[in-house]
Amino acid sequence: MTSGAVFSGDDPRQLLSGTRELTRLVRRTQRATWFPLLVLAAVTFAAIPFRYSPYRLGTCAATVAVRVCTAYPPALLVYWPTALVLAYVVIAVFYIRRSQARGVGTRVRPFVVAGIILALAMTGSLVWTLYHPLAFTLGPGGLFSALHSYLFAIGLALVVLAWAERNGPLLAFALGYLAVVLVTATFGPVSGHGWLGFPVQLVIPGSVLLLGGIGFLLAQRPWRRAA
Amino acid sequence: MTSHPANGLDDIVHQRVRLGILTIAHEARRVEFSYLRDTLGLTAGNLSQHLGVLETAGLIAIEKGYAGKRARTWVTLTKAGQAALEDEIAQLKLLISRIEPAGT
Repeated sequence: MTSGAVFSGDDPRQLLSGTRELTRLVRRTQRATWFPLLVLAAVTFAAIPFRYSPYRLGTCAATVAVRVCTAYPPALLVYWPTALVLAYVVIAVFYIRRSQARGVGTRVRPFVVAGIILALAMTGSLVWTLYHPLAFTLGPGGLFSALHSYLFAIGLALVVLAWAERNGPLLAFALGYLAVVLVTATFGPVSGHGWLGFPVQLVIPGSVLLLGGIGFLLAQRPWRRAA
Repeated sequence: MTSHPANGLDDIVHQRVRLGILTIAHEARRVEFSYLRDTLGLTAGNLSQHLGVLETAGLIAIEKGYAGKRARTWVTLTKAGQAALEDEIAQLKLLISRIEPAGT
């Protein structure tokens, strides 16, 4: 498709609407929102088996009202940062190759950089909380845990991608996803305890990412060349 | 007396095809020759002429290279090009506001 038809005439209104149409066209060509969502959904689902790896007790601390102990499977602390960094590298390679093939630059760098920084920062923060268990008493229910999770870090990275791509639908999706992560962890029927607790916290956000990825795939139809 | 907004238009930028090139280069950050040619519906010769005008004016930078055995030409917007595009858009909006007074 060419924009010759929409970008014609020298009337100021036509010129201005032509620039808007070209801007939309370039953005459509650049976007591949479905790919990061599907990759991050796969990373989330792949974390489930690590839930069943052995736990290690961290530290305990007590206030007048409550005593809190931390425990975390060390395998998860290795899995998440490794898997997320690899995922962001794969996403960056995909976007760069696509950019070369289609002939337009890519805006993926802020997303990849933010995603990797958030994944590593979250790991540092989680290790810190293992030795400062009273942090978990902040806020209602599992709110602190939800804010302090790799799932939340994924949502923040998606907000950065939406900003970089000026992608309104993705911003709405990312905010909805963050809300699901917070609600699932804080007010969900199973808030992280027991045999099924952790998988529920992963399966619901993972499913949201998967469905979002499929939705954007159908909407963006990458098999139909945009330009 | 204020000058008419049409006087503020830059003849190099205020041209349909060149405005299209600058708009695409701005949004894409880096755009390949064939994408510009196909999107704007131009011949290679016509596009090269417009790119030459913009490059001479310092509004774009052209980088030639290879992707495998294929020769590729990439276009990027310079800071002057960015400023010229912003100015053109502002002038167009001003012109439209003069043509269509508020409320009509």
